[in-house]
Amino acid sequence: MSPIVSGLLVGVLFGFALQRGRFCMNSAFRDIILGRDFTLFKALAVAILVSMIGFSVMAMTGIITLAPKPLMWGANIVGGLLFGFGMVLAGGCASGITYRTGEGMMGAVMAVLGFGLSAMMGATGVLNPILKSLQTTKIMTADDKPLTLANIFGLDLKMAMLVLAILIIVVWAVFAMRNKSAAQSYGDKAKSLGEAIFKKGWKWMPTGIVVGLVGTLAFPLSAAAGRNYPLGITGGWVNIFQSLIKWQALVEDKLKITALNWEGAEVLGIVLGALVASWIAGEFAIRAPEPKILLQTLIGGLLMGFGAVVSGGCNIGHILSGVPQLSIGSIVGGLSIVAGGWTMAYFMFIRPMNA
Amino acid sequence: MTEATITPTKTIDECGKICPYPDVDTMTTLKKMKKGEILEVLIDYPLSVERIPRSAEKNGHKVLEVKPLDGPKHRILIEVLGLK
Repeated sequence: MSPIVSGLLVGVLFGFALQRGRFCMNSAFRDIILGRDFTLFKALAVAILVSMIGFSVMAMTGIITLAPKPLMWGANIVGGLLFGFGMVLAGGCASGITYRTGEGMMGAVMAVLGFGLSAMMGATGVLNPILKSLQTTKIMTADDKPLTLANIFGLDLKMAMLVLAILIIVVWAVFAMRNKSAAQSYGDKAKSLGEAIFKKGWKWMPTGIVVGLVGTLAFPLSAAAGRNYPLGITGGWVNIFQSLIKWQALVEDKLKITALNWEGAEVLGIVLGALVASWIAGEFAIRAPEPKILLQTLIGGLLMGFGAVVSGGCNIGHILSGVPQLSIGSIVGGLSIVAGGWTMAYFMFIRPMNA
Repeated sequence: MTEATITPTKTIDECGKICPYPDVDTMTTLKKMKKGEILEVLIDYPLSVERIPRSAEKNGHKVLEVKPLDGPKHRILIEVLGLK
């Protein structure tokens, strides 16, 4: 399968699931402190657990080689915090603004434009010296491997992932059985499976399972295209914008890179998948917030894009793809995203609400 | 539901707004309203269409209806109780 077809396929499935499940990490983390709502956080936890099991089983059977990101603590922390501040301003994480672009939300489009621009400014542009100076804080194991929760204890990574995922599931199941709460639902119930999939919003459990399965599918397909990593967003937007801007140089083969790569195709697929999903559900509409908020989402996107390239990953690269591989860098990056998000949400929403 | 007979005390238009402004506006408006009054929320952001009823119930209010209108637009009617 060509990289573009395989990337598009994974992206369309991912975008479809994101739109149907309203899966957004900005909301998943922020709702914990704003309204004590754990619905999307539970969807995220399920997605991470499914990916952990999927990745470890595929690694054990030799289908993939695990690729945890290295720890660059200074860059992981600074970039993660910037990304966290930005996602609250932008009203969505990297995957959130990408799928909402497909839903026709112009606030998300502005955020994506800012995101792509500043990610390129960091990756190859005017902000690259700052990125480089922050990324010097790299720490590897004695045999030059990325640090993971497994190898710092001398454990085998694949086995540690599987055992940890099963342990968490058992503990969660025990807790869930103890505190059974009837889930409320509003509006009419779905009359058929088709209606439940295409017309109604998905509940957190199916959302998490499908997102985790798409992440699992993404790993070998992306690896087959020469990119040994599961889902990502940041590199995809950088690739899309660079392909568009440097087209002539690409055609003349001056850059020695392919135009659209797997990750770029995946990101285009997300927009397409969300467009199709929202169209079928009757949820597509071109809509925009007031001008001041459009400026706010643009600034948010700018902070997120630079933050993501500095940190070495966005919420997808670090939290959905990196945390399941127990990468310390991704855990530090992910926690910094949460810390940045909570800080900004406190000042923007929680403090004014309680005033 | 008997929406035909329900007259909202107050209406807020949250269409076009981004995450989580519809939720924040709804919750702060509910706080200012009196028991028995009815808030109408017009909204087109799918995530909040599902989340606002959850938060309203959690805060002890009664969700009277979540009605799809045109496209992604919905009308949510909440009776202010504030039991919690």
